Amino acid sequence: MSSTRLVLGWLYPREMNLYGDRGNVLALTHRAERRGLHLEVVMIGLEAEAASLIPACSGFFIGGGQDLDQVTVAEDLVGRKGPSLTTAISKGAPLLGVCAGFQLLGSHYLTQEGTSIPGLGLLPMHTVAGSERLVGNLLVEADPGLGLRAPLLVGFENHSGRTELAPGVTPLGRVVRGGGNTGHSGFEGAWCGNVLGTYLHGPLLPKNPQLADWWLGAALACAGEDPELAELDDSLEEAARVEAIARTMHPDRAPRLRLLGRGLGPRGAG
Amino acid sequence: MAGPDLRLSAAVGLGKLVGSASRRLRLGGGTTLPGDVARAIDPRVLAKLAASLTGGTVLVTGTNGKTSTAAMLRAIAGTAGWRAGGNPSGSNLVFGLTAATLDRADRHCRVPLDWMILEVDELSAPQAVAEIQPRGLVVLNAFRDQLDRSFEVEQIASRLESAVNRLPPTSFWVGNADDPRVALIGAEPGSRSHRSRILFGLDDPSAARAGLPVVADARDCPRCRGELEFTTVYYAHCGEYACPNCGFTRPAPAVRATQIQLFGLDSLQLRMVDAAGLGTSISVPLGGVFNAANAAAAFATATAMGATGAQVNSALATFQPAFGRSQLATWKGARVRLMLAKNPAGMGENLASLATLDASPVVAIALNDGIADGRDISWIWDVDLEGLARARRLTIVASGTRTRDLVLRLAYAGFEPDRIRVCPEPGAALDALAEMATPGVPAPALLTYTAMLNWQRQLVRSGASQPFREAV
Repeated sequence: MSSTRLVLGWLYPREMNLYGDRGNVLALTHRAERRGLHLEVVMIGLEAEAASLIPACSGFFIGGGQDLDQVTVAEDLVGRKGPSLTTAISKGAPLLGVCAGFQLLGSHYLTQEGTSIPGLGLLPMHTVAGSERLVGNLLVEADPGLGLRAPLLVGFENHSGRTELAPGVTPLGRVVRGGGNTGHSGFEGAWCGNVLGTYLHGPLLPKNPQLADWWLGAALACAGEDPELAELDDSLEEAARVEAIARTMHPDRAPRLRLLGRGLGPRGAG
Repeated sequence: MAGPDLRLSAAVGLGKLVGSASRRLRLGGGTTLPGDVARAIDPRVLAKLAASLTGGTVLVTGTNGKTSTAAMLRAIAGTAGWRAGGNPSGSNLVFGLTAATLDRADRHCRVPLDWMILEVDELSAPQAVAEIQPRGLVVLNAFRDQLDRSFEVEQIASRLESAVNRLPPTSFWVGNADDPRVALIGAEPGSRSHRSRILFGLDDPSAARAGLPVVADARDCPRCRGELEFTTVYYAHCGEYACPNCGFTRPAPAVRATQIQLFGLDSLQLRMVDAAGLGTSISVPLGGVFNAANAAAAFATATAMGATGAQVNSALATFQPAFGRSQLATWKGARVRLMLAKNPAGMGENLASLATLDASPVVAIALNDGIADGRDISWIWDVDLEGLARARRLTIVASGTRTRDLVLRLAYAGFEPDRIRVCPEPGAALDALAEMATPGVPAPALLTYTAMLNWQRQLVRSGASQPFREAV
C-alpha cells in the first residue's frame, strides 16, 4: 500500500482555525503515515484559483472560525467552491466539519440580527444564533450506524448557534454530558454518508482516532483503494480519551472564593 | 472636601480589617475581598485613594509581560528614591487594584507613597483608567488568551484603545510599536492619543526570528484586514511590518532597543536609545527576546516618570524575577526554572527560547484545565512543539490535570516515547526534573496558571521556596 497517495483539502485554514483545528489535520496525516500511506495536505483558501484544487482531493476538513470570518467564508464556500465541492462529495470524498465548519454544512445560519447566511446544504439542518453560549467538555455516544470501534467521543464545545436537524437526519450521536446541537435535544452533530459535522473540538481527531479512521477509510475508498486500515497501537490516544472522559464526568468544583473574579464569559465564534 | 470623608474612612477601615482577617484565616492572600468590601461602602474609594499619591499611578496592561514590566518599574522607582507600591500578587481586576491600594493607605485615608505601579487586566483597563486617572499607562501587546480563545484579539485591542482614550489630558501612555494592533492606537496624527504616546520597539534584526509562528494571532492589518508583510519578527506577531494594501506601517519608536544580546534564559543586554539619540546600556537577569521588550517598555516608562538611564540600569541589573516568571528554585539539589506559559503566545515564546537559547536536556510542561487556565486545552495544538522537537534532543516531563492530552500532542510533535516522562503530580514531575537535570543548568518548567500555583505550593511545602506573598 506504500504507493497510495491521498490528498486532504483543508478548507480555509487561515479563517477557520480557531480551536486547535490544526490538530485534526495533524492527526489525519500522522495516522496515514503510520500506515505507510502518503497524505498530502492542500490548503484551500479564499483565493479564486483555490477552487481548481478541489477535484484532486480525496477528502476535506473545515474547522471553526470567528463570526466575522464566517460570512466571508460562507459566501466563498457556497458560491465559488460549492459546485466542485458538491461534485467531489457525490463521488465519495469525506467531508468533516467542526463547530462553525459543521454549521456551514446545513442549509443556512440565522444570525442574531436575522440575516440568513447560506450553507452548503449537504446536511438537512439549519442553525439559529442563540443568546447564551454552550461552553464546556462534551461527551457523546456515537450512532452505531457509523460502526466506530469505540462509541464514546469526547471533546470541547464552544458555540452560541443552535442547530436543528430536519426530521430523519441522523445525529452523530447522543449527548452524555454537555450541550450538543441545541442544549436540550440530546443530539450532537449530524452525519449522512461521507459527510459528518460536529461541535466537538479539543481537537476532535487526535483523541478520537476511531473517527480519524472513519475519514481515512472513506478517503481511501474515494481514491479507489482498499478502505481496510491496518490496526495501530492507540495506547496514547486511548489514554488521552479516557482522561478527557474522566474530566468531563467529574469536573472540579468551582473554587469558593473566586466568585468575584472573571466576570466575562466566552464569546465570539460560532 | 469639607471635613473628613466618613464614607471613605469606613471603606478603608473595614476593607483593611477584612484584609487582615482573610490573611489570618488563610482564606487566600487577601488580594481581592478587601477591595470588594471597600467598594461596596464607597464606590469611589480607589479614585479617592489614588488621588492622594504625590506622583500618581502608572497602569501596566497587555496580554503578556504585565507582571514582569510592573515589577521592573517598581524596582526602578526604588533606585530612583521614590516610594512605590503595587499589586505584585497579580490580582489585576478592579477589586484587586482597590485591595492593593487600600493595603497601603494610612489611617488618614491617604496613601503615603509617590507612585502606585499596578498591572491591570486588559478588559478592566478602561474602568481602571476612568477611576484612577493615572499619570501613565503602558500598553504592551494584544494576544489571544487561552482563557477565552474566541475572544478575538480585536475585542481585547478595542478595550486597550478605550483605556488610552480615557486618559486625562496631561497623562502619557507608552505603546509597543512592534505590535501592529497596539501601534494603530493613536496612529492618527493630531489626535490626543497620538500626542500623548511614547512608542518603544526593538531595533536589532540580529535578534529576529525566522518568521511568524504557525498560528499567529494577528497577521492581518488592523486597519484594513489585508495581509501584513513582516520584514522582521522578534516574537509572536511583533516586529517590523507594512500593509501593502492600505499602507499602514510600523511607526518609528521614540525609544529603541538596539544591540540586543541574549545569554541563554539567564540574562540579556541591550542598548536603549531615546528620542534625543542618547544611549544607555542595560543588563537584565531575565532571558529571551520577549523580556528585552519588557525592559524596553520599562525604560520608556521610567524615563517618562523622571528616572535617569543610569537609575534604570542599576535597578534592572539586580532585578529579581517576579512570581513564576523565570523564577529559580531548588528541588532535591537541582535547579529548576519556573516559567508561566498561560496562553499560546506565551507558550510559543517560551518554546522558541528553549529551542535556541537553553541547554537543559530536560524540560517539564504542566497542562491544567482549571477555570483560571481555560478549560479548553485545544490551544496546545496551535503552538510549535514540532520546532522544539526538531531543535534539540530533549526529554519532556509531562504533567498536570491533562497530562495525557499533552503526551499525545508531544508524540505527534515528534518526541519519541522514550523522550516523554509521564508525571501528572507536581512532586513526581519535580523529582523527574531533578533526576535528569545537568548540574549547573536550571531545568525549565513551563506551567499553565493553576499548575504554577500547584508547583509553588509543592516547593513551599518542602521548604524549597518562600510562600507566595513573601516571594513577590
